[in-house]
Formats: sequence, C-alpha cells, structure tokens
Amino acid sequence: MLEKTLVDSIKQNHSLTQAKQWALEKFIDKGFPTSKWEEWKYASLKHLNEHHWQWSPETLSVNLPKPAWKHSAIIQTLNGNTHSEGALPQGIALLSVSEFMAQNPTFESVWKARNPILDQNSLYDLNEALTSDYAVLWVKKGVKIAVPLLHHYVVSGQEDTAVQSKIFIYLEEDSEITWFEQQRSESSHAILSNYVQEIWVSKNAHLTLIKDQDLQQSITHVDHTFIFQQESSLVDAFTFSINAAYLRNNLHFYIDGPQVVSNLNGLYVPGEDQLMDTHSVVDHRMPHSESNELYKGVLMGNATGVFNGKIFVRPDAQKTNAFQSCKNVLASDRATMNTKPQLEIWADDVKCSHGTTTGQLSDEALFYMRSRGISKATAQTLLLLAFVQQVIDKLAHAEIRAELSKKIVNKIQASLGLTLS
Amino acid sequence: MLSVKNLHARIGEKEILKGINLEVHAGEVHAIMGPNGSGKSTLASVLAGRSDYEVSEGSVEFFGKDLLDLSPEARAAEGLFLAFQYPVEIPGVSTTNFMKSAINEIRSYRGQDPMDAVQFLKMFKEKMAYVNIDQSLLSRALNEGFSGGEKKRNEIFQMAVLEPKLAILDETDSGLDIDALRIVAEGVNKLKTPQNATILVTHYQRLLDYIIPDFVHVLYKGKIVKSGNKDLALELEERGYDWIISALD
Repeated sequence: MLEKTLVDSIKQNHSLTQAKQWALEKFIDKGFPTSKWEEWKYASLKHLNEHHWQWSPETLSVNLPKPAWKHSAIIQTLNGNTHSEGALPQGIALLSVSEFMAQNPTFESVWKARNPILDQNSLYDLNEALTSDYAVLWVKKGVKIAVPLLHHYVVSGQEDTAVQSKIFIYLEEDSEITWFEQQRSESSHAILSNYVQEIWVSKNAHLTLIKDQDLQQSITHVDHTFIFQQESSLVDAFTFSINAAYLRNNLHFYIDGPQVVSNLNGLYVPGEDQLMDTHSVVDHRMPHSESNELYKGVLMGNATGVFNGKIFVRPDAQKTNAFQSCKNVLASDRATMNTKPQLEIWADDVKCSHGTTTGQLSDEALFYMRSRGISKATAQTLLLLAFVQQVIDKLAHAEIRAELSKKIVNKIQASLGLTLS
Repeated sequence: MLSVKNLHARIGEKEILKGINLEVHAGEVHAIMGPNGSGKSTLASVLAGRSDYEVSEGSVEFFGKDLLDLSPEARAAEGLFLAFQYPVEIPGVSTTNFMKSAINEIRSYRGQDPMDAVQFLKMFKEKMAYVNIDQSLLSRALNEGFSGGEKKRNEIFQMAVLEPKLAILDETDSGLDIDALRIVAEGVNKLKTPQNATILVTHYQRLLDYIIPDFVHVLYKGKIVKSGNKDLALELEERGYDWIISALD
C-alpha cells in the first residue's frame, strides 16, 4: 500500500483529467511491484512505496557531448520534456500528441484499440497518470534517413525525484530511421526514472532501435518499450544495459500483420550491487512472420540478472517462425541469474525454438589458453569479450558499434579488475 | 632439459602416476607408450600444469627450474608446449588474435618488447608456409567447427609459432587419417632442432613410422616399466603390451 502522504503529494502536484485520475487510482490500488508479483519476483520495487519523492522534476538543461560520428538530429528528453536541438531532417516532425492526433483523426481510434499486455505493470499506469501531452516523433511516408537520429534521455534531480517520461514514435509506410538512444543521469540523489516509449511501425517501414543504458548507481530505471508492427515491417532492436543500480526493460513486440520481422538483441553486464531485468514479449497475432531473440549477459560482483522471454503465437498466426536464445556467463561466485523462457503456442503450423544457458567460463578453454602462455586474466578477458561481441557485431553502424564495444569492454574489465595487454 | 624424479600425481583419491622417472636432453625424441589408462595423458597434463591433478610426491625440473611451482602460462613462457589430444574450441577468438596475445604475453614474461603488427604478420606468414596451413583457417574462431585433422594441424602451427624448447604431443595421432598423420608428422620433423626436444605420447606405433624416436618408454599403472630404443616400439606393435604386463603382474 502506498503511503497516504505520497498519494496526496501526487494529487497536489498534478491536475488530473478523468482518464488520468483513473490511471492514478489503478496505480494507487496496486502500488509499486513487490516480489509477490510473478513478473517482478526478482526485481521488487516494494521499498519505493515508503520513499518520499519529489513528484515534480526540476526543469533540466544539459548538453551531453556530441558524438564524433554523423547524426541527422539530436532530440532530447530531459526530465520528461522532449524537444529537438536544431532542425529536424525533411519529412520528420516533432509535435505533441494532441497536435498529432488532431492531424491524424482516423489513427486515433486505431491507436486506442492497440491493447498491449499490461497486467502487473503498475508503473505504466503511473506514467499514464502523470504524463500529459507527450511528444510524438512523426516520420512521414517514404522518408528514409540512413544517418542515425540521436536521442538523449536524461534524468536528474537536486533531491530524490520521480521522473515520468513518454515518447511516441510513428513511422508511416515505407519509412526508415535509426534511433540511437543514450539513457543517462546527472544526479547523486535517488531517481525513479519511469520511461514509456511506444512505437508504431507501419507497412514496409524499417526501424533500427538502439538503447545505450548507462545510468548512475543512484538510479532506478524502468523502461517500457512497446512496438506495434504492421505488415512487412522490419524492426532491429538492440538493448545494451551497461550501468544503473536497477534496470528493468519491458520490451514488447506486437506483430499485427503478415511478413513482419522482429529482431531483438540484448546485452546486459551488471556489476556490484546492480540488478538488470529483461522481460520481453513477442506477440505473434498474424501469420507468416518471424521473430529472433538473442540475449547475452555477463554477471559480475554480486549482480542479479533476470531474463523472462514470452512468446505468444495466437491461433491466427500460422507459419510463424519464432526463435529465442539467452546465454549467460557468471563471472563471479556471488552473481545470480534467473532465466525463464515462456512460450504459449496456439497455432499448429509454426517453428519455435528457445534455449537458455547459464554457466561459468570453461575451465578447459582457460587451461588451453594458459598452456599457450596467455595469463589467466587475459584469457578470461578474451573469452568474455568474444562472448559479448556476438551481440555487438550485429550492429550495422560501425562507429556506434565501436563506441559501445569500447564502453562494454571497459565496464567488464573494470568490474573484474582485468586488463588486456 | 627436463628431469622428472619419482613423480606421483592423483586426481581426488585416485593415484594415477606412481613414481615416474624421466630424463630428456636437447635434441632427443622420446616416445611414451602404454595401454589405455596407464597414465600417459595424465603425465602430459601434469607437466603442462592442469590443475585437476595434485602432485603428491616427486619433482620436475625444467632447465633447472622447479616446473611444478610455475603457472601453466609461465611454463609456456619457459618453453614448454603441450599439443592437446582434444584441442579446445575457443568461440569468437580467431587463431590470429589468440596467437598475438600468446606471443606478446610470452615476450613480456621474457622481458622483451611486444611484437608490432607488421613483425607479427611477417612471422605468421613464414610459419604458415612452413607447416602448410591455410589463411582461412586462421581467421576463423579457434578450433570451432574444425575437423579433427584441422585441429591437429592448428596445434602444430601454434607449436611452430611459439618455438618451444620442449614439445609434448598428447595422442596427436588419434582421430587422424593417414594423410593428415603424415602432414602433422612432417611439421613436427621440420621443427626439430638440436636445441629442442619432443615427447610423443601415443598408444600406437603408427606415428613412430613418421617421427623416429631416440627412446621408447612403456608406461603401465603409473610407472615406466620398460625403456628402449625405436626397436621396442616395433616389438610392441608386433607382440602388444601383454608380454611386458604379464612379466610384471
């Protein structure tokens, strides 16, 4: 149960519409997830029920370093407020959801009927209640931008702050973008970063979505990314979970048309006192589509990792191909990993497979390498880097690949005290 | 160069080596033969430093140093090389990168400067030609999806690159057809100099048709029970091990 003071504080700070009032009631009724909730068993946020938050985040103005590589635009979401830095490329607009729906009246009813799976997700309700007129990135029909759009997602606070952010990306037919999102924080105070990203990918559209999650140890970050794919669309999603005390990714794919391809790639490298939890959902609602999941984790220190991969193949989704793989290395005796593939298949003519493994680096491999003169530390480093490289190598953009590779290598080496000569 | 005295080794409660004595000098080729389970591979593993085995008694000196006191990587840097019976697959690490790390760590151990990319490539190409190995094999992940012959050939290539003073070949002939066996044996013969030495661990005499040993030792129940020259191997081929064993039991 949430403290009454917390509820009062929320109500005091926000004027709520009827719908938002209803979402808030839902959140208040459920509270933050506890370990008694099946979907949050290893990633309880129960302690947040007692926490005193500032519910109105300060206005933020930060300038993250610009990358050396070419980008087509910088869009910032700073403590929940989204704007673009400079002009956007031709055919891409950033506007509020009310403006967007006013210009797309027929879409609004489609959107309202989208029906994501929200049971046991009180944080989505909280976000729904407290975000109003959030931003929409609108990619017009046939617009193809090869150069990545850079998104700076930043949370901060001079006191313990709960930040709600939401963004909606709408790709019209035949459009194509790469969205590279750097999730960052600038605060030594506790921050609850509650982020909802919803994405509509129309017929024949192609999205590459890259999330680089590198937040401070004071941050609890919950990321809900719901992707709705229409006929013949393609999404390549990458989630690189590098730092934060608590990182929860709810990544959902709703396959609403035939010939859809959904690729989910994820890499998590939690270290001391870090928890990283991935809950993926791939919901095959229509036939002749394909999903591929490749997740890898290196768990160091006393880290906790969670992977729950749900695949639904609905009765209409004949000729579905769905693959899932999750491999983990425990690089410390104190680390734990919890994996749970969950396949529900209602159609009979489908190909589905899944496999999860969790283990330590092979003693045989380490001895083999050492017998050639390679020190134990170097051998461990080489094996771990080769292990994570398989996910990183799937990134087509060479400079982003190099940047992330370096960052992940540094994290692993620093956490394990390894160096590579 | 190698002096093994009264070596005892166990795995858990089970004693496998029960007092091995062996002297190896520069320029020599020793063959260690014996029936299955006699301790041949254990001896190779103990010399290379595999941690599964506990040495309970005895000593091993390598160029005057206490070998048993060194880590596996230090033994390699001192000039010891073990060609594995079952080379291990190293996913995601190419032979090239693997050998670059090995060479430079060994050089650092010996107080030498690291080899730069140009020097390394030049040396690598020479060795490739020397043991007749294909570039495409070296850019693939080490041993991953290699055939039995490719794995063994890669072991000999690594040996050529590392130029060990003492090479121990553990059942290098197992799983090889006659052509692959010949290629591997040619590699070993080419790498032989008056300064280095080789220990061949093998069950069959077959390999010794291609690599002629100076000494043949028969290992049985963890001890060397008979030593001789290359004629002993031929006799074993003809008569099996029973005549030696029955004389002992």
